[in-house]
Amino acid sequence: MTGNLIALVLGLFFGLSLQKAGLTKYHKIVNVFRFTDFAVLKFMMTTLIVSMAGLYTLKWMGLITFPGVPATYIAGNVIGGLIFGVGMAFSGYCPGTCVAGSGEGKLDYLIPGLLGFTTGAAIYGLIYPSLFPKISAIANMGSIIIPDLWNLNSALVIIFFSLLSLFLFYLIDRARMQRQDKMTE
Amino acid sequence: MDWLKEQFKKEEWSPYVAGAVLGVVGILAVLLSDSLLGASGAFENLAGTIGQTTAPKLFDNLYFNYVMPPGLTWSGILLIGVFLGGMLGAWSSRTWKLRLNSDEQWKQVFGPSWPKRWLLAFLGAIVLEIGAGIAGGCTSGLAISGGMLLAPAAFIFIGAMFASGIATAWLVYGRRY
Repeated sequence: MTGNLIALVLGLFFGLSLQKAGLTKYHKIVNVFRFTDFAVLKFMMTTLIVSMAGLYTLKWMGLITFPGVPATYIAGNVIGGLIFGVGMAFSGYCPGTCVAGSGEGKLDYLIPGLLGFTTGAAIYGLIYPSLFPKISAIANMGSIIIPDLWNLNSALVIIFFSLLSLFLFYLIDRARMQRQDKMTE
Repeated sequence: MDWLKEQFKKEEWSPYVAGAVLGVVGILAVLLSDSLLGASGAFENLAGTIGQTTAPKLFDNLYFNYVMPPGLTWSGILLIGVFLGGMLGAWSSRTWKLRLNSDEQWKQVFGPSWPKRWLLAFLGAIVLEIGAGIAGGCTSGLAISGGMLLAPAAFIFIGAMFASGIATAWLVYGRRY
């Protein structure tokens, strides 16, 4: 019961953060692919920096162990990602933002979105036995993490990722300011 | 307190602030529930539930029996919360509204027809869910949840997703790019 309540409250803040970041809007999602609005990228990378730093610190303090790390099987991760990007550019959502957008009264999210995911899930589940074992067998490394794969210190990996993100944010925001300057001239 | 109320009423937050909020949510999910955030998985449980009640023979396979068994899971309840969070976000800024076709940019590019939007969105959602299944998760379940644990899969997925998203948007938008 407490587990369910925690899930509900965490979900509430999950949905709120997506909604307030504007990611429940078709144009926000599509425009990151057109290089005209980088909110999606900024949002995702900030989430990653905060959660990486927090989780690895908690693990280092011995307060948590990691739940099952999502498996790396390169061919499947790539092919799935390529298919996913096509769907994202066409619909302007991903499963999480579509659910949050449904809560906003957007019927083009609520009805075709949720029906589409359920239909897609049914199709995938039915083809799974003949598809997944083959794809996931290619370049399968299992539940590995980058520090173990390349024998790196995890703190260094996180600091490197954070610096890289900050540099990217700086470039994006500088480019935007320069564009605004041109417009006002 | 007043400051917090003011922030809550704003329609849009900086993506850095909203992203940090989700980062904390991701940490708490592991700390409190030993779980990872995700969205596409719950639809697989739901499809199994519907499938096994309506066409039990067809849906009696490895996937729906063992990999993603039917029923309301932790991530299903999480998604109910996401729905309520979207609702709360829109209510707090007074932007909650029933809409058949929600985006102005979409209308400018594809015209005002909402059935056309629904059809493209429906097909897009099918493609999204199949892609997430093959990859091992979606933007939240793999990109965010895998990325925060430093799983290579997450970064491979993010790269592939952006590559095909950029290519698709370029094809769809053409000269309006």
